[in-house]
Amino acid sequence: MPMPKPLKIGMISTFPPGKGSLNEYAYHFVRHMRTKAEVSEVVIFADNLLNGEGEYQDQPATDSLCPLTIVPCWEFGRKRNSVRIMNAVAKAKPDVILYNMQFATFGGDKVSGALGLMSPALARLSGIPTIVLLHNIMETVDLQSAGFAQNALIENVIRGFGNMFTRMILTADIVALTIPKYVEILTEKYEANNVVLAPHGSFEAEKPEPSFDLNPGPLQIMSFGKFGTYKKVEPLIEAFEILQNSGDRPPLELVIAGTDSPNAKGYLANAQKQYSHVKNMRFTGYVAEEDVPVIFGDSAVVVFPYSSTTGSSGVLHQAGNYGKATVLPNIGDFAEVIMDEGYTGEFFKPEDVESLTTAIARVIDDPVNREKIARQNYLASQWLPISEVVDWYIFHFQLLLEKQKNLNAVVT
Amino acid sequence: MIGTVSKLELDGRFDAYQAQGTKVWLKEEVEKMSGQGVKANILVDMSKVTFIDSAGLSALVVGIKKAREHGGTLHLFGLQQAVQIIFELSWLDKAFPIYITEDEATKAFNS
Repeated sequence: MPMPKPLKIGMISTFPPGKGSLNEYAYHFVRHMRTKAEVSEVVIFADNLLNGEGEYQDQPATDSLCPLTIVPCWEFGRKRNSVRIMNAVAKAKPDVILYNMQFATFGGDKVSGALGLMSPALARLSGIPTIVLLHNIMETVDLQSAGFAQNALIENVIRGFGNMFTRMILTADIVALTIPKYVEILTEKYEANNVVLAPHGSFEAEKPEPSFDLNPGPLQIMSFGKFGTYKKVEPLIEAFEILQNSGDRPPLELVIAGTDSPNAKGYLANAQKQYSHVKNMRFTGYVAEEDVPVIFGDSAVVVFPYSSTTGSSGVLHQAGNYGKATVLPNIGDFAEVIMDEGYTGEFFKPEDVESLTTAIARVIDDPVNREKIARQNYLASQWLPISEVVDWYIFHFQLLLEKQKNLNAVVT
Repeated sequence: MIGTVSKLELDGRFDAYQAQGTKVWLKEEVEKMSGQGVKANILVDMSKVTFIDSAGLSALVVGIKKAREHGGTLHLFGLQQAVQIIFELSWLDKAFPIYITEDEATKAFNS
Protein backbone atom coordinates (compact mmCIF):
# COMPACT_ATOMS: atom_id res chain seq x y z
CA MET A 1 0.00 0.00 0.00
CA PRO A 2 1.54 3.38 -0.97
CA MET A 3 2.06 5.82 1.90
CA PRO A 4 -0.64 8.54 1.69
CA LYS A 5 0.35 12.15 1.07
CA PRO A 6 1.34 13.95 4.30
CA LEU A 7 -1.51 15.97 5.75
CA LYS A 8 -1.90 19.63 6.53
CA ILE A 9 -4.00 19.40 9.68
CA GLY A 10 -6.12 22.29 10.92
CA MET A 11 -7.06 22.18 14.59
CA ILE A 12 -9.69 24.40 16.16
CA SER A 13 -8.79 24.72 19.80
CA THR A 14 -7.64 26.87 22.63
CA PHE A 15 -3.85 26.85 22.83
CA PRO A 16 -1.18 28.12 25.26
CA PRO A 17 -0.40 30.82 26.20
CA GLY A 18 -4.20 31.17 25.91
CA LYS A 19 -5.79 29.96 29.11
CA GLY A 20 -9.05 28.48 27.81
CA SER A 21 -10.18 24.98 28.79
CA LEU A 22 -8.41 22.14 26.96
CA ASN A 23 -5.41 24.33 26.06
CA GLU A 24 -3.06 21.89 27.72
CA TYR A 25 -4.52 18.88 25.90
CA ALA A 26 -4.08 20.76 22.61
CA TYR A 27 -0.48 21.63 23.50
CA HIS A 28 0.52 18.01 24.06
CA PHE A 29 -1.55 16.70 21.15
CA VAL A 30 0.09 19.16 18.75
CA ARG A 31 3.55 18.52 20.19
CA HIS A 32 3.24 14.87 19.15
CA MET A 33 1.33 15.51 15.93
CA ARG A 34 4.26 17.59 14.67
CA THR A 35 6.60 14.60 15.00
CA LYS A 36 4.56 12.36 12.70
CA ALA A 37 5.79 11.59 9.20
CA GLU A 38 2.14 11.59 8.01
CA VAL A 39 1.75 15.28 8.93
CA SER A 40 3.25 18.05 6.78
CA GLU A 41 1.95 21.07 8.70
CA VAL A 42 -0.26 21.94 11.66
CA VAL A 43 -2.41 25.08 11.72
CA ILE A 44 -4.12 25.97 14.99
CA PHE A 45 -7.23 28.12 14.68
CA ALA A 46 -7.00 29.46 18.20
CA ASP A 47 -8.90 31.92 20.33
CA ASN A 48 -7.65 35.50 20.49
CA LEU A 49 -5.35 36.14 23.41
CA LEU A 50 -6.49 38.51 26.11
CA ASN A 51 -4.40 41.35 27.51
CA GLY A 52 -1.52 39.99 29.51
CA GLU A 53 -1.67 36.50 28.01
CA GLY A 54 1.34 37.14 25.78
CA GLU A 55 1.59 36.23 22.09
CA TYR A 56 1.26 33.09 20.03
CA GLN A 57 4.52 31.89 18.50
CA ASP A 58 4.56 30.13 15.14
CA GLN A 59 7.17 27.38 15.00
CA PRO A 60 9.25 26.66 11.90
CA ALA A 61 9.96 23.15 10.67
CA THR A 62 12.96 21.33 12.14
CA ASP A 63 14.56 17.98 11.28
CA SER A 64 12.04 16.17 13.44
CA LEU A 65 9.04 18.54 13.56
CA CYS A 66 6.70 19.89 10.91
CA PRO A 67 5.88 23.63 11.02
CA LEU A 68 3.20 25.00 13.32
CA THR A 69 1.18 28.10 12.43
CA ILE A 70 -1.24 29.68 14.86
CA VAL A 71 -4.14 31.71 13.47
CA PRO A 72 -6.08 33.50 16.22
CA CYS A 73 -9.59 33.89 14.83
CA TRP A 74 -12.25 33.44 17.51
CA GLU A 75 -13.03 34.63 20.99
CA PHE A 76 -14.82 33.01 23.91
CA GLY A 77 -18.34 34.44 24.18
CA ARG A 78 -18.52 36.03 20.70
CA LYS A 79 -21.48 35.20 18.50
CA ARG A 80 -19.71 35.17 15.12
CA ASN A 81 -17.06 32.58 16.01
CA SER A 82 -18.30 29.97 13.53
CA VAL A 83 -18.09 32.41 10.62
CA ARG A 84 -14.69 33.72 11.68
CA ILE A 85 -13.32 30.21 12.01
CA MET A 86 -14.58 29.21 8.58
CA ASN A 87 -13.11 32.35 6.99
CA ALA A 88 -9.72 31.51 8.51
CA VAL A 89 -10.02 27.88 7.45
CA ALA A 90 -10.86 28.94 3.87
CA LYS A 91 -7.66 30.98 3.76
CA ALA A 92 -5.38 28.33 5.29
CA LYS A 93 -6.86 25.42 3.30
CA PRO A 94 -6.06 22.48 5.59
CA ASP A 95 -6.60 18.95 4.22
CA VAL A 96 -8.51 17.93 7.33
CA ILE A 97 -9.89 19.58 10.47
CA LEU A 98 -9.87 18.48 14.08
CA TYR A 99 -11.96 20.22 16.73
CA ASN A 100 -10.66 19.88 20.29
CA MET A 101 -13.71 20.99 22.20
CA GLN A 102 -16.38 20.60 24.81
CA PHE A 103 -19.84 22.13 24.98
CA ALA A 104 -18.67 25.40 26.50
CA THR A 105 -15.60 25.92 24.31
CA PHE A 106 -17.02 28.84 22.36
CA GLY A 107 -19.03 30.63 25.02
CA GLY A 108 -20.36 30.52 28.54
CA ASP A 109 -23.81 31.85 27.69
CA LYS A 110 -26.37 29.87 25.76
CA VAL A 111 -26.34 31.96 22.58
CA SER A 112 -22.60 32.28 21.97
CA GLY A 113 -21.95 28.74 23.12
CA ALA A 114 -24.63 27.35 20.82
CA LEU A 115 -23.66 29.41 17.78
CA GLY A 116 -20.07 28.26 18.21
CA LEU A 117 -21.21 24.65 18.18
CA MET A 118 -22.43 25.17 14.60
CA SER A 119 -18.83 25.44 13.52
CA PRO A 120 -18.17 21.71 12.91
CA ALA A 121 -21.30 21.51 10.75
CA LEU A 122 -20.04 24.42 8.65
CA ALA A 123 -16.62 22.80 8.33
CA ARG A 124 -18.18 19.58 7.10
CA LEU A 125 -20.33 21.52 4.62
CA SER A 126 -17.19 23.12 3.24
CA GLY A 127 -16.11 19.64 2.15
CA ILE A 128 -13.11 19.30 4.45
CA PRO A 129 -13.05 16.00 6.38
CA THR A 130 -13.82 16.94 9.97
CA ILE A 131 -13.35 15.15 13.26
CA VAL A 132 -14.68 16.54 16.53
CA LEU A 133 -12.92 15.39 19.67
CA LEU A 134 -15.69 16.07 22.18
CA HIS A 135 -14.44 15.91 25.76
CA ASN A 136 -17.89 15.82 27.35
CA ILE A 137 -21.45 15.22 26.27
CA MET A 138 -24.55 17.16 27.26
CA GLU A 139 -26.25 14.02 28.55
CA THR A 140 -23.78 13.60 31.41
CA VAL A 141 -22.97 17.21 32.27
CA ASP A 142 -24.65 18.61 35.35
CA LEU A 143 -25.68 21.90 33.73
CA GLN A 144 -26.38 23.64 37.03
CA SER A 145 -22.96 22.72 38.41
CA ALA A 146 -21.30 23.69 35.15
CA GLY A 147 -22.81 27.18 35.38
CA PHE A 148 -25.17 26.88 32.42
CA ALA A 149 -28.47 26.66 34.23
CA GLN A 150 -29.62 28.47 37.34
CA ASN A 151 -32.49 26.12 38.11
CA ALA A 152 -34.10 22.85 37.08
CA LEU A 153 -36.56 24.51 34.67
CA ILE A 154 -33.80 26.29 32.78
CA GLU A 155 -31.80 23.07 32.84
CA ASN A 156 -34.66 21.24 31.09
CA VAL A 157 -34.94 23.96 28.46
CA ILE A 158 -31.20 23.88 27.83
CA ARG A 159 -31.24 20.10 27.62
CA GLY A 160 -33.88 20.38 24.88
CA PHE A 161 -31.61 22.70 22.94
CA GLY A 162 -28.67 20.50 23.91
CA ASN A 163 -30.15 17.64 21.92
CA MET A 164 -30.29 19.93 18.91
CA PHE A 165 -26.70 21.07 19.41
CA THR A 166 -25.53 17.50 19.80
CA ARG A 167 -27.19 16.67 16.50
CA MET A 168 -25.34 19.62 14.93
CA ILE A 169 -22.02 18.33 16.23
CA LEU A 170 -22.89 14.88 14.94
CA THR A 171 -22.92 16.29 11.40
CA ALA A 172 -19.10 16.14 11.54
CA ASP A 173 -17.62 13.16 9.72
CA ILE A 174 -16.50 11.62 13.00
CA VAL A 175 -17.19 12.54 16.62
CA ALA A 176 -14.53 11.07 18.88
CA LEU A 177 -15.27 10.50 22.56
CA THR A 178 -12.87 9.42 25.28
CA ILE A 179 -15.19 7.11 27.22
CA PRO A 180 -16.99 3.97 25.94
CA LYS A 181 -20.12 4.93 27.88
CA TYR A 182 -20.34 8.24 25.99
CA VAL A 183 -20.10 6.38 22.70
CA GLU A 184 -22.96 4.11 23.77
CA ILE A 185 -25.14 7.05 24.85
CA LEU A 186 -24.78 9.01 21.61
CA THR A 187 -25.06 5.93 19.44
CA GLU A 188 -28.28 4.82 21.10
CA LYS A 189 -29.96 8.17 21.69
CA TYR A 190 -29.17 9.78 18.34
CA GLU A 191 -28.76 6.59 16.32
CA ALA A 192 -25.41 8.03 15.32
CA ASN A 193 -23.09 5.88 13.26
CA ASN A 194 -20.16 8.28 13.21
CA VAL A 195 -19.26 8.23 16.91
CA VAL A 196 -15.98 6.57 17.79
CA LEU A 197 -14.00 5.79 20.88
CA ALA A 198 -10.62 7.51 21.04
CA PRO A 199 -8.87 7.37 24.40
CA HIS A 200 -7.53 10.46 26.13
CA GLY A 201 -3.88 9.35 26.29
CA SER A 202 -1.14 10.46 28.64
CA PHE A 203 0.74 13.67 28.11
CA GLU A 204 4.26 12.59 28.97
CA ALA A 205 4.76 8.89 28.45
CA GLU A 206 8.09 7.13 28.55
CA LYS A 207 9.48 9.56 31.07
CA PRO A 208 11.98 8.12 33.52
CA GLU A 209 10.30 6.84 36.66
CA PRO A 210 9.81 9.76 39.06
CA SER A 211 10.95 9.66 42.66
CA PHE A 212 8.09 8.70 44.94
CA ASP A 213 9.81 10.33 47.92
CA LEU A 214 8.51 13.69 49.03
CA ASN A 215 10.50 16.90 49.02
CA PRO A 216 11.44 18.35 52.42
CA GLY A 217 9.04 20.91 53.84
CA PRO A 218 5.31 20.85 54.54
CA LEU A 219 3.15 18.10 53.04
CA GLN A 220 1.48 19.73 50.07
CA ILE A 221 -2.14 19.03 49.24
CA MET A 222 -2.65 20.33 45.73
CA SER A 223 -5.59 20.90 43.42
CA PHE A 224 -5.09 21.92 39.79
CA GLY A 225 -7.48 23.25 37.18
CA LYS A 226 -10.03 25.88 36.25
CA PHE A 227 -12.29 26.39 39.20
CA GLY A 228 -15.74 27.72 39.99
CA THR A 229 -18.26 25.61 38.11
CA TYR A 230 -18.04 21.90 38.94
CA LYS A 231 -14.55 22.23 40.46
CA LYS A 232 -15.18 23.75 43.88
CA VAL A 233 -12.46 24.69 46.33
CA GLU A 234 -14.73 25.32 49.36
CA PRO A 235 -15.00 21.68 50.51
CA LEU A 236 -11.28 21.25 49.96
CA ILE A 237 -10.37 24.31 52.04
CA GLU A 238 -12.74 23.22 54.81
CA ALA A 239 -11.27 19.71 54.76
CA PHE A 240 -7.79 21.23 54.90
CA GLU A 241 -8.75 23.30 57.95
CA ILE A 242 -9.93 20.16 59.74
CA LEU A 243 -6.76 18.27 58.82
CA GLN A 244 -4.55 21.13 60.01
CA ASN A 245 -6.33 21.36 63.32
CA SER A 246 -6.49 17.67 64.12
CA GLY A 247 -4.19 14.73 64.44
CA ASP A 248 -0.50 14.55 64.99
CA ARG A 249 0.66 15.51 61.53
CA PRO A 250 3.68 17.22 60.04
CA PRO A 251 3.05 20.77 58.75
CA LEU A 252 0.60 20.91 55.83
CA GLU A 253 0.17 23.33 52.95
CA LEU A 254 -2.80 23.68 50.59
CA VAL A 255 -1.92 24.75 47.05
CA ILE A 256 -4.75 25.78 44.72
CA ALA A 257 -3.14 25.94 41.30
CA GLY A 258 -4.98 27.46 38.36
CA THR A 259 -7.54 30.04 37.43
CA ASP A 260 -11.25 30.72 37.35
CA SER A 261 -13.33 28.79 34.83
CA PRO A 262 -14.40 31.15 32.02
CA ASN A 263 -17.96 30.61 33.33
CA ALA A 264 -17.08 31.71 36.87
CA LYS A 265 -15.09 34.93 36.76
CA GLY A 266 -13.95 36.12 40.18
CA TYR A 267 -14.63 32.79 41.86
CA LEU A 268 -11.13 32.17 43.24
CA ALA A 269 -10.70 35.74 44.44
CA ASN A 270 -13.95 35.42 46.41
CA ALA A 271 -12.90 32.06 47.84
CA GLN A 272 -9.53 33.48 48.86
CA LYS A 273 -11.29 36.35 50.62
CA GLN A 274 -13.89 34.12 52.26
CA TYR A 275 -11.20 31.82 53.67
CA SER A 276 -8.54 34.45 54.36
CA HIS A 277 -8.32 33.19 57.98
CA VAL A 278 -7.00 29.79 56.83
CA LYS A 279 -3.26 29.52 57.31
CA ASN A 280 -0.79 27.75 55.03
CA MET A 281 -2.96 28.09 51.94
CA ARG A 282 -1.60 29.37 48.62
CA PHE A 283 -3.34 30.36 45.37
CA THR A 284 -0.83 30.21 42.51
CA GLY A 285 -2.94 31.69 39.70
CA TYR A 286 -2.23 30.52 36.15
CA VAL A 287 0.49 27.88 35.96
CA ALA A 288 2.66 28.25 32.87
CA GLU A 289 3.63 25.03 31.06
CA GLU A 290 7.22 25.17 32.35
CA ASP A 291 6.03 25.43 35.96
CA VAL A 292 3.69 22.43 35.80
CA PRO A 293 6.41 19.88 36.75
CA VAL A 294 7.29 21.93 39.84
CA ILE A 295 3.70 22.23 41.01
CA PHE A 296 3.08 18.50 40.65
CA GLY A 297 6.56 17.52 41.82
CA ASP A 298 6.18 19.36 45.12
CA SER A 299 2.78 17.88 45.99
CA ALA A 300 2.14 14.91 48.26
CA VAL A 301 -1.38 14.38 46.99
CA VAL A 302 -3.48 15.79 44.15
CA VAL A 303 -7.13 16.36 45.03
CA PHE A 304 -10.01 16.54 42.52
CA PRO A 305 -12.77 18.47 44.32
CA TYR A 306 -15.33 17.94 41.56
CA SER A 307 -19.05 18.09 42.15
CA SER A 308 -20.00 16.65 38.78
CA THR A 309 -18.31 14.93 35.93
CA THR A 310 -16.71 15.92 32.66
CA GLY A 311 -15.31 12.68 31.36
CA SER A 312 -11.64 11.86 31.35
CA SER A 313 -9.29 14.24 33.11
CA GLY A 314 -6.09 15.74 31.81
CA VAL A 315 -5.11 16.57 35.38
CA LEU A 316 -5.41 12.91 36.36
CA HIS A 317 -3.07 11.93 33.54
CA GLN A 318 -0.62 14.59 34.69
CA ALA A 319 -0.81 13.36 38.28
CA GLY A 320 0.05 9.92 36.92
CA ASN A 321 2.94 11.22 34.84
CA TYR A 322 4.49 12.82 37.91
CA GLY A 323 3.83 9.75 40.08
CA LYS A 324 1.32 11.32 42.46
CA ALA A 325 -1.29 9.89 44.76
CA THR A 326 -4.80 11.19 44.13
CA VAL A 327 -8.03 11.84 46.01
CA LEU A 328 -10.97 11.49 43.64
CA PRO A 329 -14.74 12.05 43.67
CA ASN A 330 -16.87 8.96 43.50
CA ILE A 331 -18.97 10.10 40.55
CA GLY A 332 -20.45 7.64 38.05
CA ASP A 333 -18.59 7.89 34.80
CA PHE A 334 -15.54 9.64 36.26
CA ALA A 335 -14.92 6.70 38.58
CA GLU A 336 -15.56 4.37 35.63
CA VAL A 337 -13.03 6.05 33.39
CA ILE A 338 -10.46 6.11 36.18
CA MET A 339 -10.75 2.34 36.53
CA ASP A 340 -10.81 1.79 32.77
CA GLU A 341 -7.61 3.73 32.35
CA GLY A 342 -5.87 1.91 35.20
CA TYR A 343 -5.67 4.85 37.62
CA THR A 344 -6.59 4.76 41.27
CA GLY A 345 -6.93 6.94 44.35
CA GLU A 346 -8.80 7.39 47.57
CA PHE A 347 -12.43 8.16 46.76
CA PHE A 348 -14.78 10.59 48.52
CA LYS A 349 -18.44 11.54 48.31
CA PRO A 350 -18.68 14.72 46.18
CA GLU A 351 -19.21 17.97 48.16
CA ASP A 352 -18.99 16.07 51.46
CA VAL A 353 -16.31 17.73 53.59
CA GLU A 354 -16.10 14.88 56.10
CA SER A 355 -15.70 12.27 53.39
CA LEU A 356 -13.08 14.39 51.62
CA THR A 357 -11.15 14.94 54.89
CA THR A 358 -11.07 11.20 55.55
CA ALA A 359 -9.92 10.41 52.01
CA ILE A 360 -7.06 12.93 52.15
CA ALA A 361 -6.04 11.67 55.60
CA ARG A 362 -5.84 8.11 54.26
CA VAL A 363 -3.17 9.33 51.85
CA ILE A 364 -1.14 11.78 53.89
CA ASP A 365 -1.19 9.73 57.10
CA ASP A 366 -0.12 6.51 55.40
CA PRO A 367 3.09 6.81 53.35
CA VAL A 368 2.81 3.19 52.19
CA ASN A 369 -0.70 3.78 50.80
CA ARG A 370 0.40 7.09 49.26
CA GLU A 371 3.28 5.44 47.43
CA LYS A 372 1.15 2.48 46.33
CA ILE A 373 -1.43 4.81 44.73
CA ALA A 374 1.31 7.00 43.24
CA ARG A 375 3.04 4.01 41.64
CA GLN A 376 -0.17 2.65 40.14
CA ASN A 377 -1.02 6.06 38.72
CA TYR A 378 2.44 6.37 37.23
CA LEU A 379 2.12 2.94 35.59
CA ALA A 380 -1.33 3.82 34.23
CA SER A 381 0.08 6.99 32.71
CA GLN A 382 2.66 4.99 30.77
CA TRP A 383 0.18 2.61 29.15
CA LEU A 384 -1.20 4.76 26.38
CA PRO A 385 0.82 7.81 25.41
CA ILE A 386 -0.91 10.63 23.57
CA SER A 387 1.62 10.14 20.74
CA GLU A 388 -0.14 6.83 19.96
CA VAL A 389 -3.59 8.40 20.28
CA VAL A 390 -2.52 10.90 17.61
CA ASP A 391 -1.92 7.90 15.31
CA TRP A 392 -5.56 6.87 15.75
CA TYR A 393 -6.69 10.28 14.51
CA ILE A 394 -4.28 10.18 11.58
CA PHE A 395 -5.73 6.78 10.65
CA HIS A 396 -9.24 8.21 10.71
CA PHE A 397 -8.23 11.22 8.61
CA GLN A 398 -6.60 8.98 6.03
CA LEU A 399 -9.72 6.84 5.88
CA LEU A 400 -11.96 9.90 5.46
CA LEU A 401 -9.79 11.26 2.65
CA GLU A 402 -9.75 7.86 0.95
CA LYS A 403 -13.55 7.70 1.23
CA GLN A 404 -13.84 11.22 -0.21
CA LYS A 405 -11.49 10.33 -3.06
CA ASN A 406 -13.54 7.24 -3.90
CA LEU A 407 -16.77 9.23 -3.80
CA ASN A 408 -15.31 11.86 -6.13
CA ALA A 409 -14.16 9.12 -8.48
CA VAL A 410 -17.71 7.72 -8.61
CA VAL A 411 -19.24 11.17 -9.19
CA THR A 412 -16.85 12.04 -12.03
CA MET B 1 7.68 -16.98 10.31
CA ILE B 2 5.50 -18.55 7.59
CA GLY B 3 7.12 -17.88 4.23
CA THR B 4 7.55 -14.13 4.26
CA VAL B 5 4.82 -13.60 6.85
CA SER B 6 5.47 -13.40 10.59
CA LYS B 7 2.75 -14.71 12.87
CA LEU B 8 1.87 -13.50 16.37
CA GLU B 9 -0.54 -15.40 18.60
CA LEU B 10 -2.22 -13.43 21.37
CA ASP B 11 -4.40 -14.82 24.12
CA GLY B 12 -6.51 -13.92 27.15
CA ARG B 13 -6.76 -10.28 28.13
CA PHE B 14 -4.92 -8.12 25.63
CA ASP B 15 -4.54 -5.10 27.88
CA ALA B 16 -1.79 -2.77 29.03
CA TYR B 17 0.20 -5.61 30.58
CA GLN B 18 0.43 -7.55 27.29
CA ALA B 19 0.50 -4.47 25.09
CA GLN B 20 3.98 -3.29 26.06
CA GLY B 21 5.66 -6.57 25.15
CA THR B 22 3.62 -6.86 21.97
CA LYS B 23 4.67 -3.40 20.83
CA VAL B 24 8.32 -4.26 21.35
CA TRP B 25 7.91 -7.60 19.50
CA LEU B 26 6.12 -5.97 16.57
CA LYS B 27 8.72 -3.24 16.19
CA GLU B 28 11.63 -5.69 16.37
CA GLU B 29 9.99 -8.18 14.01
CA VAL B 30 9.23 -5.53 11.41
CA GLU B 31 12.79 -4.25 11.55
CA LYS B 32 14.16 -7.79 11.32
CA MET B 33 12.05 -8.56 8.24
CA SER B 34 12.95 -5.28 6.68
CA GLY B 35 16.63 -6.04 7.34
CA GLN B 36 16.19 -9.36 5.53
CA GLY B 37 14.82 -7.48 2.53
CA VAL B 38 11.27 -8.86 2.78
CA LYS B 39 7.99 -6.96 3.15
CA ALA B 40 7.03 -6.66 6.81
CA ASN B 41 3.80 -8.66 6.63
CA ILE B 42 2.47 -9.61 10.06
CA LEU B 43 -0.37 -11.99 10.82
CA VAL B 44 -2.02 -11.69 14.24
CA ASP B 45 -4.09 -14.58 15.59
CA MET B 46 -6.73 -13.00 17.82
CA SER B 47 -8.87 -16.11 18.24
CA LYS B 48 -7.87 -16.66 21.87
CA VAL B 49 -8.18 -13.00 22.89
CA THR B 50 -11.17 -12.58 25.19
CA PHE B 51 -10.77 -8.87 26.00
CA ILE B 52 -8.97 -5.91 24.48
CA ASP B 53 -8.56 -2.38 25.89
CA SER B 54 -7.25 0.88 24.44
CA ALA B 55 -3.66 -0.02 25.20
CA GLY B 56 -4.07 -3.32 23.34
CA LEU B 57 -5.63 -1.59 20.35
CA SER B 58 -2.86 0.95 20.39
CA ALA B 59 -0.18 -1.75 20.27
CA LEU B 60 -1.77 -3.07 17.07
CA VAL B 61 -1.93 0.48 15.66
CA VAL B 62 1.80 0.83 16.35
CA GLY B 63 2.32 -2.53 14.63
CA ILE B 64 0.39 -1.78 11.45
CA LYS B 65 1.95 1.65 11.18
CA LYS B 66 5.43 0.22 11.51
CA ALA B 67 4.66 -2.59 9.03
CA ARG B 68 3.37 -0.12 6.45
CA GLU B 69 6.46 2.05 6.87
CA HIS B 70 8.44 -1.02 5.79
CA GLY B 71 6.28 -1.91 2.79
CA GLY B 72 4.11 -4.51 4.53
CA THR B 73 0.92 -4.58 6.51
CA LEU B 74 -0.73 -6.34 9.44
CA HIS B 75 -3.71 -8.69 9.15
CA LEU B 76 -5.90 -9.81 12.03
CA PHE B 77 -8.04 -12.90 12.13
CA GLY B 78 -10.37 -14.80 14.44
CA LEU B 79 -11.78 -11.89 16.48
CA GLN B 80 -14.22 -12.95 19.19
CA GLN B 81 -17.43 -10.93 19.37
CA ALA B 82 -16.42 -8.92 22.47
CA VAL B 83 -13.18 -7.92 20.78
CA GLN B 84 -14.89 -7.15 17.47
CA ILE B 85 -17.21 -4.74 19.32
CA ILE B 86 -14.26 -2.75 20.68
CA PHE B 87 -12.77 -2.53 17.19
CA GLU B 88 -16.12 -1.25 15.93
CA LEU B 89 -16.48 1.26 18.80
CA SER B 90 -13.12 2.74 17.93
CA TRP B 91 -13.64 2.45 14.14
CA LEU B 92 -10.33 0.65 13.98
CA ASP B 93 -12.18 -2.17 12.21
CA LYS B 94 -12.04 0.18 9.23
CA ALA B 95 -8.29 0.67 9.54
CA PHE B 96 -7.24 -2.98 9.94
CA PRO B 97 -7.70 -5.76 7.43
CA ILE B 98 -9.70 -8.26 9.52
CA TYR B 99 -10.42 -11.83 8.42
CA ILE B 100 -12.36 -14.73 9.83
CA THR B 101 -9.82 -17.49 9.23
CA GLU B 102 -6.06 -17.73 9.16
CA ASP B 103 -6.18 -19.06 5.62
CA GLU B 104 -8.08 -16.00 4.35
CA ALA B 105 -5.80 -13.64 6.22
CA THR B 106 -2.66 -15.30 4.86
CA LYS B 107 -3.88 -15.46 1.26
CA ALA B 108 -4.89 -11.77 1.41
CA PHE B 109 -1.22 -10.75 1.66
CA ASN B 110 -0.81 -11.87 -1.94
CA SER B 111 -3.99 -10.31 -3.30
